[in-house]
Amino acid sequence: MIRLRNVVKTYRQGRAAVPALQGVSLDVAEGAFVSVMGASGSGKSTMLHLIGGLDVPDSGSISVGGQQLGRLSDDELTLFRRRKIGFVFQFFNLLPTLTAEENVALPLLLDGKSLHEARPRVESLLERVGLGARRCHKPDELSGGEMQRVAIARALVVDPLLVLADEPTGNLDSKTGEEILHLMKETAEQARQTVVMVTHDARAAAYGERIVTLKDGRVVGDLCGEEGERP
Amino acid sequence: MSVKYALLGILSERERHGYELKAAFDERVGEFWSLNYGQIYTTLDRLEREGLVERRDEPQARRPDRKIYRVTSKGRRELESWLGRPVARPRALRDELFIKLLFRAGGDVDPVLDLVHEQKEVYLGHLRRLTQRKFALAKQPQRDDRLVTDLLIDAALFHAEADVRWLAHAEQKLRAASRRRARPREESR
Repeated sequence: MIRLRNVVKTYRQGRAAVPALQGVSLDVAEGAFVSVMGASGSGKSTMLHLIGGLDVPDSGSISVGGQQLGRLSDDELTLFRRRKIGFVFQFFNLLPTLTAEENVALPLLLDGKSLHEARPRVESLLERVGLGARRCHKPDELSGGEMQRVAIARALVVDPLLVLADEPTGNLDSKTGEEILHLMKETAEQARQTVVMVTHDARAAAYGERIVTLKDGRVVGDLCGEEGERP
Repeated sequence: MSVKYALLGILSERERHGYELKAAFDERVGEFWSLNYGQIYTTLDRLEREGLVERRDEPQARRPDRKIYRVTSKGRRELESWLGRPVARPRALRDELFIKLLFRAGGDVDPVLDLVHEQKEVYLGHLRRLTQRKFALAKQPQRDDRLVTDLLIDAALFHAEADVRWLAHAEQKLRAASRRRARPREESR
């Protein structure tokens, strides 16, 4: 499903070069729920951005769902992102002037559908995340947990191949965070979606059936298989 | 100490013989805590001597009498009073790992860092196993003791998380200490 080969990415900060990823190779199977752990600066968010086509590597290759991202033009990459990938962020990234329903519908509206066409799918997703009664509320009328539920519904509205989550519980209390992770795992299982979630929180990471640890831009741990055994 | 109260608690629901007691104990907390028959019978003897439970022997055909235990009123008062008291002694820091670190201290830092890393992976595996169990539990039909099992798993998760955080912290300190040892002159400037 996801294939990274020798991916290198360096950021510039003024004159200094800050290495973010120093040759990462990783394969993620279809339908897997993979957590990527690491301290801040370990390169985990960079890796997520590269997989999601939000940024491009300096060298190395990335393919998602059989598609080599490096071969896509900017426009193709935008479409790929919009149609194949659902994003869930730490700070929800909802549009404040839109209702829950409109926020969820947004990826479909951007793709040329009308709100009328989008509505059945949007309603059923809002029901699915437990917000059927909140569809006309705006983000500032919702709690943090509810906003993240809206963001999850928005991520799922296009029925993506892949869900990418960047610290999805980083801004929630521990009980609400648990509910959100449970929801993400459950919806991914039902729709057989692949999930890659970046987190610095070990308890959140434990929702993944596989836990990859990054340090200084390299993979230093990869826990998969049953009962914590090494591959 | 709390084996005593766990058995008292189970017997306070209804009288039971030793085998039933073990089965009830295993069903509730067996995942976190295993007891053998020896411990159960030793504890029951003590409870009986203290007058907290009483035993009656039920004759069985061609087999030894079956010993059935029930809580006395003194036992009930003792249980109630224990249930209302907070736990005075927190979890002991008596991990095998501390002993390993103790004998490694002062030597080359790399094998210690390797050990810390491996240990962190073990705890992550433990966290993951507990989380999968929690996820499966939430899908089961609602029962009175489901919440308590969920909270027990949470407690184990919080402890394992603390261990992971401590290991990450230890790793940073060990690295810093080894850098200081490698460059004592720069440090003193």
